[in-house]
Amino acid sequence: MNQQSLDEATNFLYPFIDGNETDASALLADLTESALAKAAESAALRQSTLAACAHLIEIAGAEMAHRFAAGGRLFTFGNGGSSTDAATLAALFASPPAAHPLPAWSLTADQAVLTALGNDVGFDLVFARQLIARARDADIAVAMSTSGNSADLLLALREAHSRGMYTIGFTGYDGGAFIDNPDVDACFVVQSQSVHRIQESQALLGHRLWAAVQAQEKNR
Amino acid sequence: MTAAVPSVIAQDLAADLAIASFTLAQRFSAGATMWCVAPAFAPHAHHIAVEFVHPVIVGKRALPAVALTGPDLLGQVRVSARAGDVVIAVAAADERDVRAVMRRAAAWGVTTIWIGNGDRPQHGAADHVLWLDDQDPALPATGEFVLLYHLLWELTHVCFEHPGLLTPSRECTDDVCITCSDEGRLGEVITAAHADGSASVRTATGTETVVTALTGPLSPGDLVLVHAGMAISRLSED
Repeated sequence: MNQQSLDEATNFLYPFIDGNETDASALLADLTESALAKAAESAALRQSTLAACAHLIEIAGAEMAHRFAAGGRLFTFGNGGSSTDAATLAALFASPPAAHPLPAWSLTADQAVLTALGNDVGFDLVFARQLIARARDADIAVAMSTSGNSADLLLALREAHSRGMYTIGFTGYDGGAFIDNPDVDACFVVQSQSVHRIQESQALLGHRLWAAVQAQEKNR
Repeated sequence: MTAAVPSVIAQDLAADLAIASFTLAQRFSAGATMWCVAPAFAPHAHHIAVEFVHPVIVGKRALPAVALTGPDLLGQVRVSARAGDVVIAVAAADERDVRAVMRRAAAWGVTTIWIGNGDRPQHGAADHVLWLDDQDPALPATGEFVLLYHLLWELTHVCFEHPGLLTPSRECTDDVCITCSDEGRLGEVITAAHADGSASVRTATGTETVVTALTGPLSPGDLVLVHAGMAISRLSED
């Protein structure tokens, strides 16, 4: 059999791949169902994650509030999408809607600093170097990761811990190198294999952590 | 009092996501760049861009998505977006710069997607409105928006598995084709300082010179309705 007739023999298995498909309505119906299913999966993961982490949120929130009251500040960081979630968390502390602003920054905010450090000393030190320059023992570090294995985050947590900072790690999968790590004071693990679903749960965890700090602030 | 975690997204929103992702796949297949804006939440613009340009799932296509942040959002989008491109915004319905961008999208030939929460934008403000009615001003920091644009990415990549559906049919099924002489098209004034009183106007099909006798003097950035070589009326921002 020649190649064309070989293709035609198996075309029936994949009616859409050969480019002759013309009716989008079946695809749109599938996409709608898929969106509903994934959203439900995400909501269930967020619920179970909050339940599993409720006690740790209270503990970490209390320690953070204690440090903020003593003049401490928050530094957040991550890679890729996690860097944007870290930036969202810092902005929530620093510019909250109708709440008390607290000093907080993302360590990926400055492209000159990131590219200088990455180019000159290597990307693994991109966050650790900034903590060396800026951070004090009263401060708080939050590392956001889906794998828990990124070298730049682990080195930053080591630096933060050695300086007496309070260190918080957000991770996923089985927790990676954040688990049982002496440099991580509070470790939030989202038990999922999906990077997307992990990030969605971490965003909500971050919001709850902020809310816990605000609640503690009110009690002072 | 912290917000409860919503159980699921509504059926309507799921259908809106499906349609938006299908359109997005069509546009990307035709060579579009997606410009991502979020003036009040710059990290969302960055998150959307990095999702598409460097997917978390190995082997998926890298697509041209760019975050535009910082001052003069309208000017940045105006100079960046080409006909056929997509603009996606994460913003409240009253975000002034996003409203100005959405208002001009038809003049630029750009498809628009708007993600937000609270009061909805007016009907037709964007081609695809992906909205959560919850009024909580902290919702943008809870991961709900992240879920929506993650779903958009996931569904768009499912659409790429159906190449036959991504090139729109060019068949003309009408008895009479709509031509320039039959319709008014949105234009944005580029310059209006011509000695003969004409103006250069940007429309979805390119730059045109129009007679301004009906509208009177125009300024750069003004919105006009273009018909048969004339600016027949100025349009408001709303």
